[in-house]
Amino acid sequence: MPESLSARNIVKRYGGVVALSDGNLDVHTGEVVALIGANGSGKSTMSKVINGVVVLDGGQLLLDNNPVHWSSPQAAKNLGIATVFQELSLIPQMTVAENIWLTREPMTAIGTVNRKVLHEKTEELLSLFRGTYKVDLHPDDPIVSLPSDEKQIIEILKAISFDPWLIILDEATASLDSRQVQRLFELVEDWKEAGKAIIFVSHRMEEIFRIADRYSVLRNGKTVGAGDMKDVSEKELVKLMIEKESVFEYIRKDSKNGENEEKPVCLEVKELQTVTLKGINFSVREGELVGIGGLRGQGQRELLHSLFGDVPYSGTVKLFGNGYKFKHPREAMQIGLALVPGDRGREGLLSIRSILDNLQLPSWPRYGFPLRIKKAKRDAEQVGESLNLKMAGLEEPVSSLSGGNAQKVVLGKWLVRKPKLFLLDDPTKGVDVGTKAEIYSLLTQLCDEGKTILFYSSDDEELIGLCDRVLVLHDGIIRTELSGPSLTKENLISASLGVSNGFHPESRTGGTL
Amino acid sequence: MKNRITWDFLMTRYPVFFPLVLLVLSVAINLYLQPNMFQLSTLNSNMRVFLPLILLTVGQAIVLIAGGIDISVGGIVSVVNTILATRVGLEGSSELMWQYVLISLLVGALAGAINGFFIAYLRLQPIITTYATSFLYAGFALFILPNPGGGIPSAIASVYRTSTPLSLPLAFYVIAILLLVWAYVSSTRYGKYLFAVGGKAEAAYETAVPVTLVQFSAYVISGFMAALAGIAITMLSGSGNADIGNPMTLNSITAVVIGGNAFSGGIGGVAGPILGAITLSVIQNIISFSHINTWWETLVKATIIVAALAAPGVINLFRRRRA
Repeated sequence: MPESLSARNIVKRYGGVVALSDGNLDVHTGEVVALIGANGSGKSTMSKVINGVVVLDGGQLLLDNNPVHWSSPQAAKNLGIATVFQELSLIPQMTVAENIWLTREPMTAIGTVNRKVLHEKTEELLSLFRGTYKVDLHPDDPIVSLPSDEKQIIEILKAISFDPWLIILDEATASLDSRQVQRLFELVEDWKEAGKAIIFVSHRMEEIFRIADRYSVLRNGKTVGAGDMKDVSEKELVKLMIEKESVFEYIRKDSKNGENEEKPVCLEVKELQTVTLKGINFSVREGELVGIGGLRGQGQRELLHSLFGDVPYSGTVKLFGNGYKFKHPREAMQIGLALVPGDRGREGLLSIRSILDNLQLPSWPRYGFPLRIKKAKRDAEQVGESLNLKMAGLEEPVSSLSGGNAQKVVLGKWLVRKPKLFLLDDPTKGVDVGTKAEIYSLLTQLCDEGKTILFYSSDDEELIGLCDRVLVLHDGIIRTELSGPSLTKENLISASLGVSNGFHPESRTGGTL
Repeated sequence: MKNRITWDFLMTRYPVFFPLVLLVLSVAINLYLQPNMFQLSTLNSNMRVFLPLILLTVGQAIVLIAGGIDISVGGIVSVVNTILATRVGLEGSSELMWQYVLISLLVGALAGAINGFFIAYLRLQPIITTYATSFLYAGFALFILPNPGGGIPSAIASVYRTSTPLSLPLAFYVIAILLLVWAYVSSTRYGKYLFAVGGKAEAAYETAVPVTLVQFSAYVISGFMAALAGIAITMLSGSGNADIGNPMTLNSITAVVIGGNAFSGGIGGVAGPILGAITLSVIQNIISFSHINTWWETLVKATIIVAALAAPGVINLFRRRRA
């Protein structure tokens, strides 16, 4: 087993774009190194250089101080370097067990896959995360039937099944809930003890401080700082990443509790039921920013989608004083609703189409026949400017944008229509801190203009910092509503886990724990 | 939720369920029109007609599982048929026949290898490639035998037509062998690779599955199965005709889809498509027994097939409405 891996002065170009100009990273067994940087700073490229997915243009990799060169990802894997990617490398139609052990199946004497051993080995791996699954996860479950957090867990288990000495976790926590992240971090501690090395790529500061021993910061393809975590503060790290310190302070200065009570009710939901939701009741006043919290997959997505007419439901929904029951998102759009979906690659964007097409997709009917392209371009440019969208031009494909900028397009395509009620499904997932801060100030600004926002986030701090009120979903009901002084991280987390801690006497105890 | 038998559960866990329902339905109708259907002689005369399509469908099913499609199978059937009919001849010896059976299998595998080379190694579109090669093979068959004629010794043909070991049609044994071989292959590592490549080729590649080789092999298997189908249909007809395979291509694809394999790959097996092939053939039977005017035959057949294909979708639509 190797003891250390170093990347020295790495250069990597994609065509004319320089992704890395001077990347450096050292990692030794028994430690966790956090690889930090804003979106587009070269973190992903750095991981791909280390695991052999891309061939480097300059610099060198040293394994135990000897230069190495990967001819393929397989070569790196054979030397014990495993990667947990965000883009899933799982085959949806195959089962959990088949996916984890693909190409390394235990065989019988007659050349067939030994299902019994396959099961045992898979159960063993699955037990590492036991207790964090929503339903009991079985080795024979097809991947396609799993929620995204459990797919991510399978991806992690697949990487460990190689018994690597170096594990790269590339945004592996982005789709996990807090309980699963907790479990992963316990495992990371075990791996450290067992003499494995871990490279941890994440946007979440709090996680980096919890788990990492050392850090390495990338900015515009250059390593701009590295050292021990204990010698650095959150602010110093952010400063290294973005050069501007102020953007991270997104806490809303004046929580406007009480001020909104005069305003008319904009959304009223009574006994809303779907497959996962078991009777949701709440109302939102105009200009409010209401958060939806809770563990991943408790029905938040379904709530937003049913309000948007995308998922059938029973119950009554009143919007702007009138009762509606949408059969199609078109009807929801007409009275001023907008939905920013959680999976922007699949539901939010047409990746091969241009930025202009994406921004104007919901609005083309307004530009007449034949389309007044010039006006459409002007409007799109305006929205782009107001969002501080970094792009080469409106005609560029939206896939050329970094994650944060792509998310701005998803938001921007609704801004063109000027809706009154925004339904946001985890809009800051996998977005860098700089863009997050911009999105936060945009949301606050929209509320000040009298728009209403219903906002689901998997980031607890975000909900606490940004929202007037937070509705915590658990097991398909609103378990708790937090606002004002009760809106604290402790309360939010315990409510998410279904634990009652006394602040809300009528909430029922007993959850999935 | 887990233990309740739901429609979804049946459809995903037992993909053979729906084709089985269709088969029972069509057999019932057939039985009404042809009451002696289950007599050995009738059963055998039906099954020997069905067998070539069954063999062809198995190859097609494997290509579809691996995420491709093979439109050239009918052409390969024709090539094999014309080779046997011209080289063996009505007066040929049985040694000559077996010799050319072996050659036919090689020719089929070679034709499949040509498809596989274009698709797996040159990365061309499967549907375009095999459409193009289907003309190549059909043209080759016409070159070998421009006008229908030739044949194989009737003694050999009657082995295929009349063998009923243990009072069961020969075709039943062939189907049993096909199912056994598939049960073995699908539980080997290679079998897992087929599903992996058809499910999500990029992910399979990242996991070090030899994607190119697996794709290539699927077409070779399909070509080999098409050759077997060609041999079977030659023994059934006893003569040569360069057009004989043409109508079989679309039937094989339809049979696979009726059999519950996804067009998008990575799902299904071989049992469903075999049931699909039998169902399709039984439908053909029903049409000829119900004395429909030949003018209407194609239309009626197509309508039944479209309805059969649409049924799972229609059922799902109603389930969504109800939800």
